[in-house]
Amino acid sequence: MSIENKCLRLSELPDDGSLAATAHAKYPGQHCSFRAVAGTVPLIKNSYALLFGPAICLYNAKLSMNMRSLTSDPRPNNLLFVNYSQDDIIFGFQEKVRVAIFQADQEYHPEVLFLITSCLQEIVGEDFDACIDEIRPSVKAKLLTIHTENFTCEGAAPGVENMFKSLFELMKEQPQEERTANILGLWTSTARKTELVRLLSGKGVRIKNVIPSYCTPSELEEAPGVQLNIVLDQYGLPLARMMKEKFGTNYIYCRKPYHPDSIEEWYQNIASALNVDLPVEVADLKKKTEAQQEKARAALSGMTCAVFGTSGRPFDLAHLLANIGIEPRAMLLQTIQPEDRPDIQSLLNAGFDPIVFRGDNSLQNEELLAELSPDISVGAFERSSLARMGIRPIVLSTSNYLLGFDSTLEVLRLIMEKPPGLEALMFKEKILADGEC
Amino acid sequence: MDLKHNGFPVPSDYFGVLWALSGIKDLLILEHGSTGTCNYNAFNYMIMNRQSPKGKLFSSGMDEDDVVMGRDKKIKEAIVELDRKYHPEMIALVATGVTSVIGLDLQGIIEEIQPTINARMLSFPSGGFAGDYTIGIREVFGTLARDIAEDCTKKVRSNDAPSWTKPSTVNIIGPTIDSFNIISDLAELERMLGLMGIRVNTVFTCNTDVDAIKNMACASLNLVTRDIGLEAAAILKERFGTPYYYGLPFGVKGSIDWMKDIASILGISLDKGMVRAELEKYGFSILELVNFLQNIDHLRAAISCPFDYSSGLAAMMRDEWGINPSLIVLPASPIGPQRLNREANFGLGKDVRLLIEPDSWTLQDAISSMNPHIVFGNSYDLQISRNVPIRIHAAFPAFDHIYRYDGTPFVGLRGHAYLTQTIVNLLNQNPEVFRN
Repeated sequence: MSIENKCLRLSELPDDGSLAATAHAKYPGQHCSFRAVAGTVPLIKNSYALLFGPAICLYNAKLSMNMRSLTSDPRPNNLLFVNYSQDDIIFGFQEKVRVAIFQADQEYHPEVLFLITSCLQEIVGEDFDACIDEIRPSVKAKLLTIHTENFTCEGAAPGVENMFKSLFELMKEQPQEERTANILGLWTSTARKTELVRLLSGKGVRIKNVIPSYCTPSELEEAPGVQLNIVLDQYGLPLARMMKEKFGTNYIYCRKPYHPDSIEEWYQNIASALNVDLPVEVADLKKKTEAQQEKARAALSGMTCAVFGTSGRPFDLAHLLANIGIEPRAMLLQTIQPEDRPDIQSLLNAGFDPIVFRGDNSLQNEELLAELSPDISVGAFERSSLARMGIRPIVLSTSNYLLGFDSTLEVLRLIMEKPPGLEALMFKEKILADGEC
Repeated sequence: MDLKHNGFPVPSDYFGVLWALSGIKDLLILEHGSTGTCNYNAFNYMIMNRQSPKGKLFSSGMDEDDVVMGRDKKIKEAIVELDRKYHPEMIALVATGVTSVIGLDLQGIIEEIQPTINARMLSFPSGGFAGDYTIGIREVFGTLARDIAEDCTKKVRSNDAPSWTKPSTVNIIGPTIDSFNIISDLAELERMLGLMGIRVNTVFTCNTDVDAIKNMACASLNLVTRDIGLEAAAILKERFGTPYYYGLPFGVKGSIDWMKDIASILGISLDKGMVRAELEKYGFSILELVNFLQNIDHLRAAISCPFDYSSGLAAMMRDEWGINPSLIVLPASPIGPQRLNREANFGLGKDVRLLIEPDSWTLQDAISSMNPHIVFGNSYDLQISRNVPIRIHAAFPAFDHIYRYDGTPFVGLRGHAYLTQTIVNLLNQNPEVFRN
């Protein structure tokens, strides 16, 4: 079956947004919730995390954190590892779990000890939760269990949602404090420097917690007392719902937008939910962004692109690119959220109907890109193979940590400016691809 | 229980299987597990010199039904897809922890599906529960040596087909994609062999292919560079009579001895002019690089590397730099007939500490109580040794160190030159080490 037969046009997307699998042999496949959770829990201050699993999962988790430590956004080293052996599978994990919890409690004195299970724990079927309930009264740390089995789902979502939900156990009823908010679903040490936080702070709104970014357990305990939970992604939504149900904490679910009109609306919705006015500030920022958009349009109009899944609203990002004259030819995504529907419709209404492809095998992705031959690829990480196809890779990682117009300005900057080394990479790869200088 | 806060969970045999297979060009690996494992691996290959398993490693994308029902439809579909689409010479089915626990019979799947598949299929069912990664590498080496290598004498002689044993041709057995400094070290070994007129038939298993492995018996000697290759060498000797030589050349003396030994086994004579030219170019002594007020014999050094690197580095430091390592740390006991002998392997006196597979606390204590000037080790060893002035990456894993350039060997004559020059430069950058 050719690649074309596995593609859909955006207009042909079924109502439920489901994308058919495109390969039986997958690479690299979606990452698992164990990985996502192991990468997230270090953000909770005064905590340690015990990871229970086979060496396959533990070794990879440690390396991921080590690599992260070499970046501008390192995570605290709070991961502890309990390796399950064949004997543990046969004779049971419980004693090993018990010893590890006591040891972690006594040696590291965490306020919170996360207990993160892997696929193996769930397959063997021992009652992990009962075992923890038995241990709980004997340790000082608060024990929060996060189940992350990956074989029951195709992605990381359930485990990450479990991570958010585990934090609910720390929360207590609080008197509601006006002009306060939590942000749910922003993973970075710079969360409090984002445009959203800056604008709201300017209006006297205090951001009490950015969950899960660097909250202490006691701060989380007080989290229900805010006027509003601002939920930026689907992973934080179940926690927001639980907080609404138990504590009456209102929430607004508003994923990160990219198009200036969408950002303006996004700010309006948040401001309205908090009973503050932001029109002047937003208008100024929008004007600045639109000016930058004009510059981008002048430089890039007429180009084509492929868009890979990225943080926030991918179809709104495609709409932004379309708006500056870069035609989105393909969207490579693993999942489409129900909330993407309005953005999909906006893109279609604007006259763009890109191919939507679930990239189960990155070699197939490359086949598709070779066939479509877009000028740029937005959001993918494999720079060399893209460069070899003559496609300019644009990695959006720095914009992922930003919100609002700041994020869009960063996207525009990344599209207009070539990162260091790209020219040389494209030069080399062209010679390698063409076989001649 | 070592919770590995400052250390790392030792990669299991599953990883060894992947790494040993990854250097074989026309072989594809299909692991039976959830995609999360494969995705994670795409990441962990990156820490080994920014490699990628793209186009090499695939996942069957096991789901709940596969686990509960023991269903094998997905893996069969994936096998057919890989075979039809990419036409590999071989497909290796590799179990993950989940496959291993549910007891799916990978060999049974192969027996059922092999008649309809062009690629030859192999299975590796341990799933990470057989031990550390060296066991996985040995498992792959053993399987390939036993089941894939062919008897060259049975091949038909022709101009374009491999003939019987080729004189002055060797296989290098041991390097896999996880081997530290593999690019430079292999380049140097091949260069030195080239100086002797010896051609490398294949490297088992780096940058090799199925055909080269089939033709391993055509080589007249197997050079084992890593203890985990000894079993495979023994199998090849038993099956085809190919002799093998075990050892890595470190330092001037070690390198010359290595060349002499190989020349002797192959019945060739070393060109004295070549040896002289090499020594003049690369054989400079540390004494030629330091001045008379730079004393180094008081320096304390720790080496934390796998057996072959540890023993070679220790001998070179002791015999050629005059620095007797005070601490040797091995991540695992050496494998093979040589077993561990403090005196024979390391020339260790009683005052030298030897740790084998220590937990991270023991290693931390050993380093801090010894207070070395120099540490050779992996990234974690060097993190533990933050206060040590001279820290040199010399072992896997080296997640914060890239060694893609082929001009930084540790082995051979150029390795001696590079290391000697490097250590002197580092000493000069930390002149306080000359004083205390």
